[in-house]
Amino acid sequence: MKCKRCRRAEAAVELPSHHSAFCPDCFFVFFRRQVTEGIRKLRLLAPEDRVLVCVSGGKDSLVLWDVLIDEGYETEGLYIDLGIDGYSDRSKEKVLAYAASRGKTPIVVELAKEGIPIPEAARCARMQECSICGTVKRYFFNRVAAEGRFTVVATGHNLDDETARLLGNLLHWQRGHLARQHPLLPGADGGLVRKVKPLWRVSEVETAAYGFLKGIDYVTEECPMSEDATSLVYKEALSRIEDRMPGTRIVFYQGFLDPSNPLRKGAEAAAPAADTARATEVDAEEGAGTPRACASCGAPTYTETCSFCRLKERVRKARSLRAAGGSR
Amino acid sequence: MYNAFMITVRLPQKKKELELPGPRRVMDLLADAGVRPTTVIVTQGKKLLTKDHRVEDGTTIDVISVVSGG
Repeated sequence: MKCKRCRRAEAAVELPSHHSAFCPDCFFVFFRRQVTEGIRKLRLLAPEDRVLVCVSGGKDSLVLWDVLIDEGYETEGLYIDLGIDGYSDRSKEKVLAYAASRGKTPIVVELAKEGIPIPEAARCARMQECSICGTVKRYFFNRVAAEGRFTVVATGHNLDDETARLLGNLLHWQRGHLARQHPLLPGADGGLVRKVKPLWRVSEVETAAYGFLKGIDYVTEECPMSEDATSLVYKEALSRIEDRMPGTRIVFYQGFLDPSNPLRKGAEAAAPAADTARATEVDAEEGAGTPRACASCGAPTYTETCSFCRLKERVRKARSLRAAGGSR
Repeated sequence: MYNAFMITVRLPQKKKELELPGPRRVMDLLADAGVRPTTVIVTQGKKLLTKDHRVEDGTTIDVISVVSGG
């Protein structure tokens, strides 16, 4: 199969959703255009932005960092060491190696040092690992960005991630969640930093192919905590639909984002202010207006103490109870 | 282990390795391995293979899942 762009070289990537196939060089052009077009269309980034790229060691976040560096954005990487035996070490190794290859040193937050390594915290608090992980990551993304005077936080969520989330939100009619699902979450006074998902137009296969062809050494194993994640069920359903009807995912998501979509209009009416959306994003609770400072840590929140501090307190109490039980 | 008369299909995330007779197209090998083509990339050394690529006996290919959870 020949590349459908240059019509000379052998194709390495075929994309039924775009009725196309590309050789490596033409695929790089295509992929970067997809990302930059996604940034331009939704005005995710400005040339003067200081971008904090959240990197996990997986394909999506490292590819995102790679593209943003190549596009000339001022970036730094943030790696959060979740404290998961073996997996976290291997992920960190990939991040450090990639960063070194681009002359960068990532910011590293170690949750063990912060007193909240995910597996142990989940056991103590009897909570789902993914739920704790989401709260903790959102907290540090914002905190590191605010402290480091970054203007925007970028994550590697791709089209498959976003459509899986959209399907889940629709199936359960999560109107609040639908209201705040967007590749751009504006910042707000009080220390909430803008959050963007520049890979919203590209699929997982495309990011994996880009990473492989660019020689980016990413961690291919899955997080052992996410084996039962419900998002995987939605992803599989959408992937089966995509197999039969290529291009459905992007139509589904672009249709959702279209401002004329009645569902979107309803969502915006339910959450008129940008910071309302961020309230739930940061705190996982409904809120409105300008956030105030958490009574415990000073982070922006719409409640007395932020969700991260409440989580830490819950884990602390559970640890104390365990210790007391164990000493009897 | 290298086998000159078979195709070796490695699935590192599943910690699985299959020996299948060739020559066959990538999509046929994936079907035999029970893998849906749209959930993986298939590589041979530093080359990325399209699903209609013909694989010869004695070749080793890697099937890398691209689906991430969480």
